[in-house]
Amino acid sequence: MSSPPAGAAVRVTALRKTFHTRRGDVEALRGIDLQVAAGQIYGFLGPNGAGKTTTLRILTTLLAADSGEAMVAGVDVRRHPAEVRRRIGYVGQLGGADIEATGRENLILQGRLYGMGAAETERRADELIELLDLRAFSQRIARSYSGGQRRRLEVALGIMHRPEVLFLDEPTLGLDPQNRANLWVQLRGLRDAGTGILLTTHYLDEADQLSDRLAIIDHGLVVAEGSPEELKQRYPAGVTITPRAGARDAAALAAELEGDPLVREAHVEDGAIRVHVSDATAGLAALFEQLRARGVEVLGVSLQEPSLDDVFLHETGRSLRDADPTAATEAR
Amino acid sequence: MTVMLQTALLSRRRLLETLRQPIWVFMGLSVPLLYLALFAPLLTSLAGGPGFPRGGVLDVFVPGIMALMAFGAGMGAGWIVIGELDTGVIERLRVTPASRLALVLGTVFRDVVTFLVPAVIVVVVALPFGFHAHWGGVALLVVLMALLAAACSATSAALGITLKQIGSLAAVVTGLQLPLTLLSGVLLPLSLGPGWLQGLGHANPMYYAVEAARQLASGTLDSGTVALGFAVMAAAALLAVWWATRAYRRAMA
Repeated sequence: MSSPPAGAAVRVTALRKTFHTRRGDVEALRGIDLQVAAGQIYGFLGPNGAGKTTTLRILTTLLAADSGEAMVAGVDVRRHPAEVRRRIGYVGQLGGADIEATGRENLILQGRLYGMGAAETERRADELIELLDLRAFSQRIARSYSGGQRRRLEVALGIMHRPEVLFLDEPTLGLDPQNRANLWVQLRGLRDAGTGILLTTHYLDEADQLSDRLAIIDHGLVVAEGSPEELKQRYPAGVTITPRAGARDAAALAAELEGDPLVREAHVEDGAIRVHVSDATAGLAALFEQLRARGVEVLGVSLQEPSLDDVFLHETGRSLRDADPTAATEAR
Repeated sequence: MTVMLQTALLSRRRLLETLRQPIWVFMGLSVPLLYLALFAPLLTSLAGGPGFPRGGVLDVFVPGIMALMAFGAGMGAGWIVIGELDTGVIERLRVTPASRLALVLGTVFRDVVTFLVPAVIVVVVALPFGFHAHWGGVALLVVLMALLAAACSATSAALGITLKQIGSLAAVVTGLQLPLTLLSGVLLPLSLGPGWLQGLGHANPMYYAVEAARQLASGTLDSGTVALGFAVMAAAALLAVWWATRAYRRAMA
């Protein structure tokens, strides 16, 4: 038996999955590779239908891959799904809190199903009620919870048995900014305690700020992988120039700007010219030079440090925000 | 051992859920009582006629009502299962090490209990109206019908997981309900009907349960009909539980 490198919470090699639907085959995963270390928050960023949820469902034993290898906490998902289940926590997109029971009852049942003793389960439930600030409503039926309260309960359910690896599918979907920030704090705490965390998101800022490393996935393939900083440094900064209306043909100006060696690409968007320069500081100076030489009157100039959306744009040729959510059908 | 503990935990959760919605307890009870109050009186004029022993209309009718109650108590399971598919509860439970058999049995056990409580009440209510209870027979009758409730519950749960949509489930269950209940003679014994009708009844597992139940209610405990009724219901319950467990185990994508 080949043992995984020490500290690997998740190791996925050449994972493939095709769904056979009535309207033909959908290749959801076309050879995914990724590795998550213990004590790391790993973000999985991509548009709807990219294959994020499918990957998560395979890693959590809910779905069988067609081929490839998936090891979770050092255990082969295909060969030993029961052992994998004991070691992982999962917070699905739907949540999964039993809304007809109280929060505390939810936690107790979860602990007992993982084989924890009655007394230990009570202790752990109280601990999590404290940790995730559920005290005010833990004795109420979960049906009455707000979105944020329910999400906190569901995260508590996912970590009730102190899993080695935690999977979260769009954990902050529909949460208000305050609840979102709170959840980030909790997840960082778990990470610092040594839990390997793999979470999917289609929020750029979440992937950027929360992940230690991330993979950008599109159409069933990892198109970029690294820490958020590494990824962004590979790509140019963006500059938006707003010329005075009617001063000159914006498209022609964009084409001329592209002639500058520091300018990688320029195009017109909403009347403004969006330019990508390979170096933010020198590039900006060069642009001012070009504009002045042409006598273009400018209403405003703004500089955008490269974002993960730029990374996505450069890898896939389209913006993550515009990525057609119906382009690939994510099987439910 | 683990399966038993998990079944107990999951049944407890289910029963709590039911107790918190007393409207369902009330509805479950009102249907058989309405049959007794509003339909049974129509049968009194049939007493002594074919299929009905003199003065024993309820002895024929109560077993049929019990079968209807068992069917109703069990067939509701699928609705709850679909609700839990939609809220992600089933997905969450499937990622825990919980035995998939225990997940099924938790639901089945609750549905058996929600059959048993009104069943006992119906027996007690029917007594003053002329139901002749042979206690040994009635006890076995309730056990037999509990098996029917279990079979219906597991079938409904398996249908729910497989169909995933309330609309489809409702269509299938309503589509099954009339042929299954009519062809088991719940309201009037099939022995009153022509041969072809009785022949069709023999293809319906519920028919054997109702036939056995009528004999049990009349105090016959050791007939071949009773043995066959138990054998068919035990087999149906086992088969349905196996099917539902398989549906829980299978990947849901």
